Amino acid sequence: MIFAVGKLLRPGGADERRAAVLAWMTTIQALCALFFIGDVAFDLYAGDGQALGHLWMESFVAVVLLLGLGVLIVELRQLLLRMDRVTAGLMAARGEMAEVIEAFFSTWGLTPAERDVALMILKGLDNDSIATVRGRAAGTVRAQSAAIYAKAGVDGRTQFLSLFMEELLADPE
Amino acid sequence: MTGRVAGERGGRMGARTYRVWDPLVRITHWGVALGVLLNAGVTDPDGRLHEQVGYAVLGLVVLRLLWCIVGPKTARFTTFSPSPAAAMGHLRDMLSGDRAVHLSHNPLGALMVYNLWLTLLALSATGIMMGTVAFFGADWVEELHEAAYGWLMLSVALHVGGVIFDQWRTGVPLVRAMVNGRKQVAGDRPVK
Repeated sequence: MIFAVGKLLRPGGADERRAAVLAWMTTIQALCALFFIGDVAFDLYAGDGQALGHLWMESFVAVVLLLGLGVLIVELRQLLLRMDRVTAGLMAARGEMAEVIEAFFSTWGLTPAERDVALMILKGLDNDSIATVRGRAAGTVRAQSAAIYAKAGVDGRTQFLSLFMEELLADPE
Repeated sequence: MTGRVAGERGGRMGARTYRVWDPLVRITHWGVALGVLLNAGVTDPDGRLHEQVGYAVLGLVVLRLLWCIVGPKTARFTTFSPSPAAAMGHLRDMLSGDRAVHLSHNPLGALMVYNLWLTLLALSATGIMMGTVAFFGADWVEELHEAAYGWLMLSVALHVGGVIFDQWRTGVPLVRAMVNGRKQVAGDRPVK
């Protein structure tokens, strides 16, 4: 629970941190505005004959406080909307990645069984786990992955993975 | 703010994580909770501190209501408008074993949210009235304040009970969601 509270104060990700700071500032400024405006209202109500200039000044400050609060609220709203859009963009990128993978597999002419194995390699499973998942002998999977690497023209697992990494890191242009 | 959090894996197989509560919602929620706790059990009801905490809670509620108009989707009035019909529908769904999970408040929870806000506003209004010259010593104001307080305590108990019940029913860690903003939904449950 302490950890969770710590996470509230220091959430992961630059945008989330920014949103958290903005939200704290908004809350604190709202309370400050309430206090100040309450103070002005009380002065007006009590009417202890303060100088008119002073009252004008206080009213001006109150308006500025409220304007600042409005700006904070709008900023926070924009930031949160942008974070949503970025998330959606990432999801789309993931969807496209699936297509990229599919395209590679087709060019290499992988068999359906090899496709399955190749996908599991991409997801980080080792040969033994793949054998267990697919209910095949470890030797079969080893042979299949060797065939995949040969078709892809790479030496092994690391090079195979780097093919896809390169796609991800490539400039969108 | 219903974005799936990309690149984050749920604790269980196939669990999905949704960003549902933005930081302003969480801060005002726990701020109000703290304020209510302070004024219910710690501060002297006749003291200056009790008044100040009360004003702070009022400020937080007003800010939250403003956020209901301008905030992101899950924080808005329109996402969880109060509807007894929807609440009844939700009850029926629960009884018929519907496994869907609401990303914002569920319709019953939404009614509780409005109830809590209205009660807090009533408490603040009567509290402020007690401090004014016009209503000074008016018994009915104080009685109303105390009645609203009793109702609030009942509501808070129901609110906490509802959260525990819904957490058990849907398997979504709701308290954690109000702390870190994310709802973790098991893979086999549809979301609404």
